[in-house]
Formats: sequence, C-alpha cells, structure tokens
Amino acid sequence: MKKALITGSRGQDGAYLSRFLLDKGYKVYGADRGGDTGIWRLRELGIEGKVKEISLDLLEPTNIMDALEKIMPNEIYNFAAQSIVKLSFDQPVLTAEVNAVGVTRMLEAIRKVCPAARFYQASTAELFGSTGGAQRNETTAFYPKSPYAVAKLYAHWITVNYRQAYGLHANCGILFNHESPLRGEEFVTRKITAAAASIKKGLQEKVTVGNLEARRDWGYAKEYVEGMWLILQQPKPDDYILATGETHTVREFVEAAFAAAGIKLKWKGSGLSEKGLNAKTGKVVVEVSKEFYRPAEVDLLVGDASKAKLKLGWKPKTGFAELVKLMVDAELKRLEKKKVNL
Amino acid sequence: MKKALITGITGQDGAYLSEFLLNKGYEVHGLRRRSASFNMARIKHLVAHPRLKLHYGDLTDSTNLTRLIGEIKPDEIYNLGAQSHVAVSFEEPEYTADCDGLGTMRLLEAIRLLGLTKKTRIYQASTSELYGKVQEIPQSEKTPFYPRSPYGVAKMYAYWITINYRESYDIFACNGILFNHESPLRGEEFVTRKITRAMARILLGEQKCLYMGNINSLRDWGHARDYVRAMWLILQQKKAEDFVIATGKQYSVRKFIELAAKELGITVGWKGKGTGETGYVKSVKPRPGLEADVKVKVGDVIVRIDPKFYRPAEVETLLGNPAKSRKVLGWKPETSFEGLVSEMAEGDLQLALSEHCLAKAGYGAVKNC
Repeated sequence: MKKALITGSRGQDGAYLSRFLLDKGYKVYGADRGGDTGIWRLRELGIEGKVKEISLDLLEPTNIMDALEKIMPNEIYNFAAQSIVKLSFDQPVLTAEVNAVGVTRMLEAIRKVCPAARFYQASTAELFGSTGGAQRNETTAFYPKSPYAVAKLYAHWITVNYRQAYGLHANCGILFNHESPLRGEEFVTRKITAAAASIKKGLQEKVTVGNLEARRDWGYAKEYVEGMWLILQQPKPDDYILATGETHTVREFVEAAFAAAGIKLKWKGSGLSEKGLNAKTGKVVVEVSKEFYRPAEVDLLVGDASKAKLKLGWKPKTGFAELVKLMVDAELKRLEKKKVNL
Repeated sequence: MKKALITGITGQDGAYLSEFLLNKGYEVHGLRRRSASFNMARIKHLVAHPRLKLHYGDLTDSTNLTRLIGEIKPDEIYNLGAQSHVAVSFEEPEYTADCDGLGTMRLLEAIRLLGLTKKTRIYQASTSELYGKVQEIPQSEKTPFYPRSPYGVAKMYAYWITINYRESYDIFACNGILFNHESPLRGEEFVTRKITRAMARILLGEQKCLYMGNINSLRDWGHARDYVRAMWLILQQKKAEDFVIATGKQYSVRKFIELAAKELGITVGWKGKGTGETGYVKSVKPRPGLEADVKVKVGDVIVRIDPKFYRPAEVETLLGNPAKSRKVLGWKPETSFEGLVSEMAEGDLQLALSEHCLAKAGYGAVKNC
C-alpha cells in the first residue's frame, strides 16, 4: 500500500487530496497545526478519523526527520503554509519561516531520510504578481508582490534546486486560485459565498470586500488535487501550472454569488464609496473598504495550463458560474442543517 | 553629518565601503557578530577612526537590529552581511536562508516599524548568482533569475523582499546585482583568493599543489574597491532602482590561475582531461631577489582537480551587462582584470614571504593545506 504524507491535511487542498488518495487506496498521514480547527473539512468529506494524524511542524527540523523515518512515505505533499496574503504583510517573519525555510527543512529531511520519496510543493500564481497582461506559463518570469509570494518564490526555487542538485523527485505545482465550499472564510470567495447565503436567509446584513476590479483565474480545488497527484506519477520530476485560463473580477464573483442565492444586485457609486444594493429591496448588501485592499495589488492572474493538459492529461471541468453556484449551494445547505440542528 | 550602517563590515566589501564612506565624511556604524575568532583584520586600519563605531549585532536577531537602527537612525544602510559562500550554503541551507534571506526582511521591517521609511535608504547586496543557469547572455536587470544553490535562492528572497518593501511602503530600497568582485581582502575560502594564495605559497615551497573544482567556469570579475563606489551611487539617485554592476568582460577560472602564476614568474601548462586534468610548471623565471627562495621547479604538478570542489549544481557562466549603471550612475570599473589579478598575486606573495621568513626562522611553520 502506498503511503502519502500531507502537511496541511485539514486545509482545503489537504482535505480534498486526502479524500482522493484514500479512495485510491493510499494510507494517508496528515500533519496539521492548530488543533481541531480544520477537522470539519474532513468531516464534510466523510473521512474524519481516516487520515492518520502525525506530529510534524515545519519549524522543527528534527521533528520532520523523525516523522519521515516513522512513515517512510512514498509521496509527500507540502500544503502547510501561512496562506493568507494580507496577513503576510503583518507577519512576514512567520510567513517566511513556515512557507520558505520550512520547505528547506523538509527537503533536507527527505534528502537524508527518504530520498526516493516524491515531493510536491504547493507553488502559487501569486509568484507572477504583475508581469503584464499575457497568460503565465512555466517560463514566465516571476514578480512576487507580497511577503507571502516572496516566501513562496523561495520555496519554489529551493525545490527546483534540490531536484537539480540531488536528483530528488521534487515538483512544483503552480496553482492558480482554486476554490470550493471548503475554502477558509478568510478568503474572499468563501467570504462572499457565505455572506450571500446568510444575507439571503436574513442572518447577515451586508458583506465588505476590497478591490472589486481584481481579476483572478478561479478553478475548483477538488479537480486541482487530482492534477497534483498526476504530477507525482510522472517518471520525471517537473513544474506545472494548473489553471483554467479564464479570468473573472471580484465584482463578477459577487454578482454570481448573489444571483445563485436569488438576489439581483445593483451597483451604485464608485471607488471606495461604491455599494451593491439588493435590486428588489434597495438595501445595501455589499460595501467596499480600503481595509481589504493589499498594500501592493496584483491586478490580473491568468494561467496557461497547456503543459499540464499535454503531459498530464489534466484539464479543469467546472466552469466559473458552476463553481460559484456550488459554493453558494453548499452554504445554503449548511445553514439549513444548522437550523434543523437548532 | 550623514550616518551609514553597514552590516558585514568585517568582510571584503564592508572594509572597502567603510573606508570610502569615512573619506566622504560619513559617520560609519558597523555591525559585527560576536565570534570566538577575532575577525577584524580587514578593518584594523580603521578601528581607531573617530567616526567609525562598531556594534555587536546579528541579522538573525530582529530585536537587536530594530534597537540598533532605532538608536543610530542611519541615513543609509548597506546590507552586506551574509553567509556568502555558495558551497557552504549546500551544507547550511537553513542558516543561509535565515541570515541572507530573512535577515534582509528583518532590516526592512525595522525601518518600517521605526517610522524611518522617509529617512533611511537601504542597499541590498544582490548577486549574479541569482542568474545561476543563465537565461540569456549577457545578464541585465531584465534577465529572469535561475538560482542554482541555497545561497542563490536565499539571495533571491532578499532581492524580491527589497522590491516588495519599496513598492508597498515606499522605502528607498535598492538592489545592486553585483557580479564577482575580488581583491586582496577576499576571504581565503573564495576561489580567486585561494588561487593567488596557493600560487605564492607553491612558489616558495610552502605548499605543493592547488586543488580545484570546475576550472572552466566563466565569471565576470571586477575589483571590490570599484564596486563599493557603485553601491554608494545607487543610494544617491533620485529614484530607487536596481542595478547590475559588472565589467562586461568574462574570463575562465583557468585563465585566472594562469595569470596569477604568471605574475609570480610561473608559466602553467595543462595536461589530461576532466577530473584527471593537471596543471604543471612549464617554466619558472623568479623575479630578481627571490631566486634563493623559489622552490617550484619545471615539471612540478601544481594544479589538480578534486571533485569535492564541484558544486552539486554548477553555474557555468556569468557575464553582466552594465549598460544601465554606466548610463544612469555614470559608473565604470577602473581596475582591469589583469590589474586585479596582479594586485591579488602581489598581496599574497608578500603574505607568503613573511610566512616563509617566519618558517625559516623556526616560528609557526605553516602546514600545507
């Protein structure tokens, strides 16, 4: 039986990947900080108790080595990270310690303990920041725009370096935004879909967002974890972009989410004073605040996943409208369930 | 009076830069690490200077950096401190990341936290090692990076976090992407200094042979004295920008060996291939006055290849395009490659001669290394 180790198994990607690998017959080990906060994701996917908990912290080199020696995994997926871009401006040191140096610690441990293990590093479209309007592929130069992205850039290159210097099967998946009902509520997509559902049910008045014009390439996380797995099944290690190749603005996301909840929006005003009104009642349901703007904004992130399509046979299936709808539906369902439980 | 803070003041660049800034009338503050070995050789001629002040500090210690910067309130910070050895970075990747990568961010954070964003300008010592497996020849400010070592990756973190703080907080923060710059003050563990030192010692019979890694690597070599001037110029501009500092000329490590030997009157010939290649003495012509001390003979094998000096991932070629620094900064190097090698060979000859005298007199015979 193959053994996989997932750091951050209770995050969105970790949960979907755990489910995916368990279905494939893997024995799955999960390393997570922060106690039970993410366990709900495994519960929603019906795999609570199926992922074996292991103590492994990316700040602790000896702890990592111990964990690897115990498990001797065939595949390692490194998702653990301080993953909130905005928080990285407040906590650049922690972000770098976990997201950057943590990967070096992991690679060093692999090199010493289980050099035959295959390693997946979660790189991100944030690496590209603003490099012009064209689509980003695996050869586009990076331009990170946050301490989060700079740390992830370090992680990306140290992975490439260990592959080339020591021949490790070390891979980077450069994933464009990938969302789902399991996204954390601090992320804009989940915040919007959760709010749309709550507003619909009369449990919340409005939602406050940042830059409405920010454009992103949004895919469905459940499909992206399959791409990650495919990357590790290749004979040769390499780096791949996973993306839809399509972009939408935050504004479009807001509109689609409220539409899915049955609320038609009307926009009024501009810039920071722009508001989204419920077209029927005239009530303000969306506001904009500087608080949610980033100090340095990335304006457009669109990926070209043709290499993944060609070499892995991977392509995304769920379209934008479908994704937003399934996220809002999940929220509505959660609220129904809560009501029943009350 | 302007105040500058230099991290890594005890290093080659720190020594040249502090001298340069003291001559310009700066009050110079230097950060040095507490260490069991005394590491002040390069700045010993400056320590008594009334405008030079040394502080204990460490790039891995945020509190220490923040307190020092808060007390000094420097107009300019030159971040030259680093674990700067590429081969060592493969052995100590975590420390290299902490010091070279996060260390830079700790300085930037201190500037931001202390509200010095409008006052303090910061120079980040970036490096041609960022180009690693080069994506175009020659390399300019626009060439994409491809680092090949934990050192290169850590320095890449520092490069981008510098740009990020410039863009996010409007700090006057700049990268100088410096190609190799050498001098008689270079550390002995760096290849150029290793060569000039070995050649002088071989000449006098204090050492038999020089062991090398990849002697076909190509580098763009300048003199550190010229390069510290560029660092200062970068911080005197109206706009914070990044600059490549290089000579635009390229030579192999092999050529460096040949020239260093020639300075001492040795002509080197080559035999064999790959790891079996050797460099031997084709002819020796000692300079007047040294005939009695010269021990090396025609036919002696004085260079051998030892694969232990190969890097796990090689950087084969580096060549800088200094067009922007020439145009915007008006900077160009004053010392040629030949001049550089000659100065280094001469410095190490004098050093070896004094060791040789001591050894002859029975004091602290220096073991072959």
